[in-house]
Amino acid sequence: MSFKYPVVMPKMSMTMETGELINFHVAVGDQVKSGDVLFEVMTDKIDMEVEAPADGVIESLVANPGDVVEIGKPVLIMLTETEVMAFDFGAEDEPVAAVEVITAPAPAITTPVAPVAPVAPVILNETVKAVPKARVEAANRGIDLRTVRATGPDRTITMADVNGAQLDPAIAKRQAANKALIAKGIEMTRGIAQASFTRSVNANFDHATFMAAWAKVLRNRPDLAAHEHIGVALIIESKYGSALPVFRDPDQLKIADLAALVASTTDAAKNGKVPVAMLSGATTTVFDLTTYSMSSATPFLFPNQVTSVTIGYESATTKIVSLTIDLNFCDFYDGALLLDALVASL
Amino acid sequence: MSDRMLTMAEAVREAMSIAFDERPEVFLLGEDVGIYGGAFGVSGDMYHRYGSERVLDTPIAELGIVGAAVGAALSGMRPIVEIQFSDFTAQAMDQIANQAAKIHFMLGGALHVPMVLRTPQGSGTGAAAQHSQNLEPWFASVPGLKVVVPSNPADAKGLLLSAIDDPNPAIFLEHKLLYKIPGRDPVPEGATRIPLGVSKVVREGKDLTIVATGIMVNKSWEVAEKLAADGITITLIDPRTISPLDMGPVFESVEKTGRLMVVQEGPAQAGFINEVIAQLAGSSSFGSLIAPIKRLAGMNIPIPYAPQLEKAAVPQFDDIEAAAREIVKNWR
Repeated sequence: MSFKYPVVMPKMSMTMETGELINFHVAVGDQVKSGDVLFEVMTDKIDMEVEAPADGVIESLVANPGDVVEIGKPVLIMLTETEVMAFDFGAEDEPVAAVEVITAPAPAITTPVAPVAPVAPVILNETVKAVPKARVEAANRGIDLRTVRATGPDRTITMADVNGAQLDPAIAKRQAANKALIAKGIEMTRGIAQASFTRSVNANFDHATFMAAWAKVLRNRPDLAAHEHIGVALIIESKYGSALPVFRDPDQLKIADLAALVASTTDAAKNGKVPVAMLSGATTTVFDLTTYSMSSATPFLFPNQVTSVTIGYESATTKIVSLTIDLNFCDFYDGALLLDALVASL
Repeated sequence: MSDRMLTMAEAVREAMSIAFDERPEVFLLGEDVGIYGGAFGVSGDMYHRYGSERVLDTPIAELGIVGAAVGAALSGMRPIVEIQFSDFTAQAMDQIANQAAKIHFMLGGALHVPMVLRTPQGSGTGAAAQHSQNLEPWFASVPGLKVVVPSNPADAKGLLLSAIDDPNPAIFLEHKLLYKIPGRDPVPEGATRIPLGVSKVVREGKDLTIVATGIMVNKSWEVAEKLAADGITITLIDPRTISPLDMGPVFESVEKTGRLMVVQEGPAQAGFINEVIAQLAGSSSFGSLIAPIKRLAGMNIPIPYAPQLEKAAVPQFDDIEAAAREIVKNWR
């Protein structure tokens, strides 16, 4: 199974509309690894090397060195072994699923992910002067006050400035794309008979412990798994949207190694960066609501996943664990047993 | 509900009379409080009603007056001292700050000093620099004293009764310009007490919180009334007791309005009202501010004798109105 993946002209600054292709670092037929430099691009502001988003083979070169290419238009096409959910958040067009399946589709393992490119916001004030509530509000809404135009006395940012502030267009784009992604996910989930189960848990656990415990429970139920591995997607919110890095077989890692991986991945995701290798292979999803002091969320199942789990806030010492199952694959009894086993192992 | 409108002088006299009737150990002493009826006529006819045993005319010797009162308080009496002008408390400051405020603590709580020192303060009478000061911070910065600043007759009566009951020495700062003015609210009959250390929300609005003391409460109220007609509504808070200070209503209000203005008559530098700003700045309500805090206070100068300059030296209606409009207009 391989996928055709167009590598496009990236948007590298707010004002960028086109970029000039300087040269290719690869030729047709080259085998590339994720992170290898594919080509170099020049804009009015910066030169940048564009890297391979995943391992694969160069199928064709679309543009020629010296060409001025619009952002979002393909520069080269590569074939990848893993499906890359490619939404070009910088382009003006609707997010395009650039995946073309050219072999017979196997059960796809799809993880909706907001991928990741650095955003270059327009800095209006290097030193921010703002009324206290504007800082609180900006922090809550993920607004960088340096990008907000100050109209208050002595060039101070007022509440009116924050309320009128547009989100950085790049971030807004991501959020819109994210919405489209979620809508698509819901569309695909709709019609799946599902059931949810909830239990209070009087235990302290971190994401690593929880994911390892959950993977271990799932491993005892190979009948539920359509896959040979267990991939736990952890939803991490950032100003770039939701990222869902996938932790493969977390129960088979040393817990300290897993904890370190979770910590570094969470940090990276919050900065809009998730290693490409972690963007696919999810078989279940974990959503921690305690960050928001919420106890539960609408039950959800991502496409091709049979289970999802939320961790909710009940009190300082108690959490609420909710499991949602796809009733096409398991019944209520299975659901109850799964949750029971999960809670027992915490 | 009574609808009696009294002046502050009448309300204070009524409170003292009620205390005289309730407790034989209450007495009044000071310069000209007896036959003359007090420099501002506050004790009035009390000498004639209660006699020279309980309304004592004293020599012009403030340190001696307060010293006598402290001694009497230690011996089980409840003296009320009147000092003719608050400026003259400087003469008595050792008895006030070092004796009255501290004896309870120096003696391990064995004795207390239930004394009330009433004294008129403030400018606006053309009495120049030595008879016009607002000395709220002198007293508010001495732990061991309770400091009361009534802004209207009803509060003056209720707060004075509580101050007389209180086992701690209390400084009761009455503004001269309020003595002859009837309050906006009627003064209840009988021994109605108002607890010390409870701020009063005088009126509620959504655009601006004003914290003011004494006569500035009245000026701010008039401004609030005028601005309400233009759609700017103000929450006005009168701490009433500046030590101990009740900040709760201030925090609560600033969280709603997001804007704070403080108004005091005394000089801005190291003034009492700065304490309100400091406590707000250090509280979790700080994050609710949508505007810099505005302080209106007296200038850092001795009160001038020339009437125009005297007026210009402390916040007036126009200053408060302009500042309130500006803060609401500029910070949205």
